[in-house]
Amino acid sequence: MKLQVNGRLHEVRHGDEALVWVLRDELGLTGTHYGCGIGMCGSCTVLVNGEATRSCQMPARAAQGQAITTLEGLATRSSGGEVRLHPVQQAFLESPLQCLWCIPGHVMTAVALLDAVPRPSTEQIEAHANRNLCRCGGYNTIRKAVARAVELTREEA
Amino acid sequence: MSPPSPDWQVTRRRVLIGLGGAGTLLVGALIGLDRGRPAIVNLIEERGTGPQNAPTTPDLWFEITPEHLVFYSPKVEMGQGIHTALAQIAAEELEVSPSQLDVRQAPSSRGFDGRVMFTFGSSSVNALYTPLRQAAATLREMLRAEAARQLDVPANQLSASGGCFFVRGGRRFLSYGDVVAAKQGEWTVPDAPPILKEKAAFTTIGRSIPRVDVRAKLLGEATYGYDARVPGMLYGAVARPPRYGARLSFAAPGQVQRAPGVVQVVIDLAANFAGVVADTRTQARAAVEQLNLRWEGGTTINQDELERLVTADEAGAVVLRRRGNVGTALRRGTLVEAQYRTPLAAHAHLEPLAALAQVQGKEVKVWVPTQYPERIIQDVQATLGRGYNVTVYPTLLGGSFGRKAGQSAAPEAARLSAAVGRPVHVGWTREEDLRHGFFRLPTHTVLRGSVDGRGRILGVEQFSASGNIVWNFEDMPGGILTQNLLGFDPGVLIGRFLPYDLPNYRVVNKQVKLPVLTGPWRGLGLLPNTFALESFVDELAHAAGVDPLAFRLRHLPQTREGRRFRRVLETAAQRSGWGTAAPPGRARGIACCMDVHTAVAQVAEVSVEQGQIRVHRITAAVDPGFVVNPQGATLQATGSIVMGLSSALKEQIQVRGGMMQTANFDTYPLLTLAETPEINVVLVESGEIPYGMGEPVIGAVAPAVANAVFALTGTRTRTLPLALM
Repeated sequence: MKLQVNGRLHEVRHGDEALVWVLRDELGLTGTHYGCGIGMCGSCTVLVNGEATRSCQMPARAAQGQAITTLEGLATRSSGGEVRLHPVQQAFLESPLQCLWCIPGHVMTAVALLDAVPRPSTEQIEAHANRNLCRCGGYNTIRKAVARAVELTREEA
Repeated sequence: MSPPSPDWQVTRRRVLIGLGGAGTLLVGALIGLDRGRPAIVNLIEERGTGPQNAPTTPDLWFEITPEHLVFYSPKVEMGQGIHTALAQIAAEELEVSPSQLDVRQAPSSRGFDGRVMFTFGSSSVNALYTPLRQAAATLREMLRAEAARQLDVPANQLSASGGCFFVRGGRRFLSYGDVVAAKQGEWTVPDAPPILKEKAAFTTIGRSIPRVDVRAKLLGEATYGYDARVPGMLYGAVARPPRYGARLSFAAPGQVQRAPGVVQVVIDLAANFAGVVADTRTQARAAVEQLNLRWEGGTTINQDELERLVTADEAGAVVLRRRGNVGTALRRGTLVEAQYRTPLAAHAHLEPLAALAQVQGKEVKVWVPTQYPERIIQDVQATLGRGYNVTVYPTLLGGSFGRKAGQSAAPEAARLSAAVGRPVHVGWTREEDLRHGFFRLPTHTVLRGSVDGRGRILGVEQFSASGNIVWNFEDMPGGILTQNLLGFDPGVLIGRFLPYDLPNYRVVNKQVKLPVLTGPWRGLGLLPNTFALESFVDELAHAAGVDPLAFRLRHLPQTREGRRFRRVLETAAQRSGWGTAAPPGRARGIACCMDVHTAVAQVAEVSVEQGQIRVHRITAAVDPGFVVNPQGATLQATGSIVMGLSSALKEQIQVRGGMMQTANFDTYPLLTLAETPEINVVLVESGEIPYGMGEPVIGAVAPAVANAVFALTGTRTRTLPLALM
């Protein structure tokens, strides 16, 4: 079977396994992290057709024919090869968390929110950000970074 | 994935020069044995093992070529920002911008002394601050002398900036890379020790420079232990006992060898080991579940039995401190008695244990997220045999908090790789990680104290019982004999003593060997001890009818330590509005602690909503001596507060039938974003030496919250996690 990840089609051998392992171990996209395997910590979050999805809870086969975006697929490259971060990545670069193992959850959840609601309320930001854990305790930084990402997105628009 | 591995020439003043290779300058430094380790360990080792072998490789080293300037860090990056802090310390003396310095992780083939590579005890910045500056300054002066020769001017006519030497009053300059490229012959180390920069001249140290590790992590390009990859690798999974201490008495592969993707079943009853190597991780895990295994023995302990074991009394206890006559003091004044309990708790780092091992003949390479590379070497050699040459390549760590000091995924991966003849990655599941590690020790503390009519403490008697920390974790020289002679575990001493002037004080400790493995957890004994002691001081203050802040201040000693405590207490109080009315329905509590010489005070502001404690605001004042990176220090403090709050409000492990009843975040909930209060951290400085930031702040959270709950409700909560009946 084939999976479309970050705009490219990949042949996949172990479609019955959880998407997180196919992405990480088969396709080598280790930017998506495993943290709990029960959909609670959020470290394995990817976008499936734009929706923030726990890749540990989804068999790879279920994502067939859908557009998957991982952390690796957010930044863009200029014609000169210069890497341009997504506004959410830029916001977390300015206000970093500590170990960042949880970062796929926070970034992908915020990207999905901003794509759906370009000007989210504080309550919406709070509700979305609350879906993911951060053991290093960077929750107030996450609040700040997502609010900053909203600003950056508005500036880009 | 392997950095250069040159031979080294030891020169004067503990500086090493890498040999061979024109166009490259390798300069290393030996930083010695004795920084940042507990004195007790030092004493035992020096008596027990005699002098170390002469060093032949450096603890710290730099590599300069025309293309790059690299610093190899002996300390691992686990989110504490150490690679950034070390980069800015080195950049300051090298006179380069930190962004010009490429920080890479040193492998274990460097450094003769294990403890230099051991990242532990909030000690990295403190231990490396001066040696790293000396090494960088030596390198700068070697380059300056050579640049002066190449430019044909006196060395004192060159000024260094941005990685270049400029001729004063002229336009000529050379970059460090130019100097190295044009160098002919051998480098020499200058005779005079380098002069280090004055604090007033710092341009990099003391600033919040951007973290060096974050960009790659945001792009998904960073390599943590779970991400380690080499061509041709397979995946391994290992069977776990159903009860702690259970032994594998029978194991058979059954049908597993024919299961999809299975490459090999590895069974070694003597080593208590059964595992599977397969093409994918999911296949390996499924196959392990199908092995035909019989486990015997082990503990069947239940929670109530565990708590009975951890009971503070005089039987088998040793006196840690005795001042004055406590017995007499307690018969005078107003007597206060209270007992406190803290539970077993997990580290719950979000990246579970993982390791990749490649065994080829007698050569073993291990990529592993570890705080303690030397320990990995020992563990792999204990598994495969002393004749194996083990090199550890520490990866980034997705959190650790002490857990990845021991790292048993590494010997497991090595055993499987040796059996199958290919590289094997073992990544633990969350369930394995929460159940089969070691835990923060459970404690029980009984306190008796009395106060007189003028609001002064007459005396305090303190009994504690707790599990082991260091004794379980380290193969300490002297072993069992030393443990029995001492009667206490060095780790439980962290935060164990009241910092106040007490005319009569007696501290008794009972060390309990538990059937459940306990070990290093952020701050070691700091959180459990500070919870008990700072809650009890609050109880004494209320018994004396004195404001808890004023009560603490009046009992602080007239020492430097006492003055630093006073300053953080007053700062936290002032910033939190202590002494003014709290918002309606809320109250404040205060607590303080000290660890690795860093002084901490915190004020918590809480309410109780439908019987639930809600924390609205934490104000912390922290004096770590001197701050290298304010942003990094603030993140460490904030992170400690959130982790401490998580312990104070939510975390506990219950044991039943010899096994944890918690297995994942549904049964072991962590503090969430919605539960995280406003946190304000104020950094105050008191000198020129940076102490530690990783652990000290975690101590004062729980008692500050408990004291606030008492101020609000009149109910004293003496067990973690805090709960109102």
